[in-house]
Amino acid sequence: MVDLSQYLPILIFLAIALGLSAAFVFLPMGVARLTGAHNPDAEKLSEYECGFPAFEDPRSQFDVRFYLVAILFIIFDLEAAFLFPWAVSLDVTGWPGWITMMVFLGELVIGFAYAWKKGALEWE
Amino acid sequence: MIQVLAFYLFAALTIASATLVIMARNPVHSVLWLIVAFFNAAGLMVLVGAEFIAMLLVIVYVGAVAVLFLFVVMMLDIDFAELRAGFVKNFPLGMLIAVVLAAELVLGIGAYRAGSLELGTPDGSAAPLLGKSNIESIGALLYTKYLFLFESAGIILLVAMIGAIVLTHRERKGTRPQIISKQVRRRPEDATVNVKPEVGQGVQL
Amino acid sequence: MIGIEHYVVVSSILFVLGVLGIFLNRKNVIVILMAIELILLAVNINLVAFSAFLGDLTGQIFAMFVLTVAAGEAAIGLAILVIYFRGRGTIAVDDVNRMKG
Repeated sequence: MVDLSQYLPILIFLAIALGLSAAFVFLPMGVARLTGAHNPDAEKLSEYECGFPAFEDPRSQFDVRFYLVAILFIIFDLEAAFLFPWAVSLDVTGWPGWITMMVFLGELVIGFAYAWKKGALEWE
Repeated sequence: MIQVLAFYLFAALTIASATLVIMARNPVHSVLWLIVAFFNAAGLMVLVGAEFIAMLLVIVYVGAVAVLFLFVVMMLDIDFAELRAGFVKNFPLGMLIAVVLAAELVLGIGAYRAGSLELGTPDGSAAPLLGKSNIESIGALLYTKYLFLFESAGIILLVAMIGAIVLTHRERKGTRPQIISKQVRRRPEDATVNVKPEVGQGVQL
Repeated sequence: MIGIEHYVVVSSILFVLGVLGIFLNRKNVIVILMAIELILLAVNINLVAFSAFLGDLTGQIFAMFVLTVAAGEAAIGLAILVIYFRGRGTIAVDDVNRMKG
């Protein structure tokens, strides 16, 4: 079992973040409820669209190109994740470890060059 | 004591959010519950000292895979109510199979505790390094003993990348992309001229 | 004290939930992919727990590879889903056997 006391700062940080965000969300709601008049009706609750009823669902479709960018992000995210243990253990692994990582990076550079050549990274 | 409490908290939240992933009516909610499940599983892993895997879980799953799922759910405009049509019909069969599977797993765990199974013992070649952090020990093992496995993981990533590009990328006709080399090559002399027109005359272009 | 059995129980419950999710949402490919991620998460918890309790890091190394493969699987699976939706306008799995080419 691991010594959990080293995670105390993270816990404190989480508690403060949670408290602050809850305050930002609920404090205005509570204050508005206590100070202002509160009698909603259907007209007041409908979404505001310059005087006419809303045309369509607010949920609109994303472009597929976002998806391609997200996939490339996943791949390079994993690559970066593999870089962390390599970087801290280089004094143990030495040259073989270094060459291994360079081959790994080379593999991903091939993929990167392919993506670039195909124009997957271009927007318009 | 606090570790026991933390274990039960994380375990209960993981299982509860996993249940909500498969039961949620709206796939967007499913993705969000999946994120909660991953966070709590990372907590479980921190409790046994696998800190690097826990951080990897948060970075890769929550940061990337869950966002990818969210993208796809938002990208495809689907009538999800129709897709839930078979839910009630499949429920008894699914429950039956789940119960059978769970019973088998419980039996398996019981067999493990009976002590008649040889699980294999660590030979010490992959033990964590003394006095080093979890991530350092992992690096020392991954880049020496499991070096070729690591390279094949790189190949898998390469194939995933190329496959995704081949599947979803399509050439767009009629777009006018920026040609950077052309922009850089253009000099002021090609584009502008200095003229000195006489008074009362226009400029002939 | 928390032993390995607790972890194995949690991961087997998670595994069963993942399998159940595949059965319950048989039409919705997105939820099926999420259920597969749950199954892989159960596998990862198992690997990490045994690695920690046996004092052997191999399990954590393999958890990293499982993570890599899971990310690749999600990327390719969702890419197939996207082009399937583009062609059909739905993601119901029942019609997938009409795919060809």
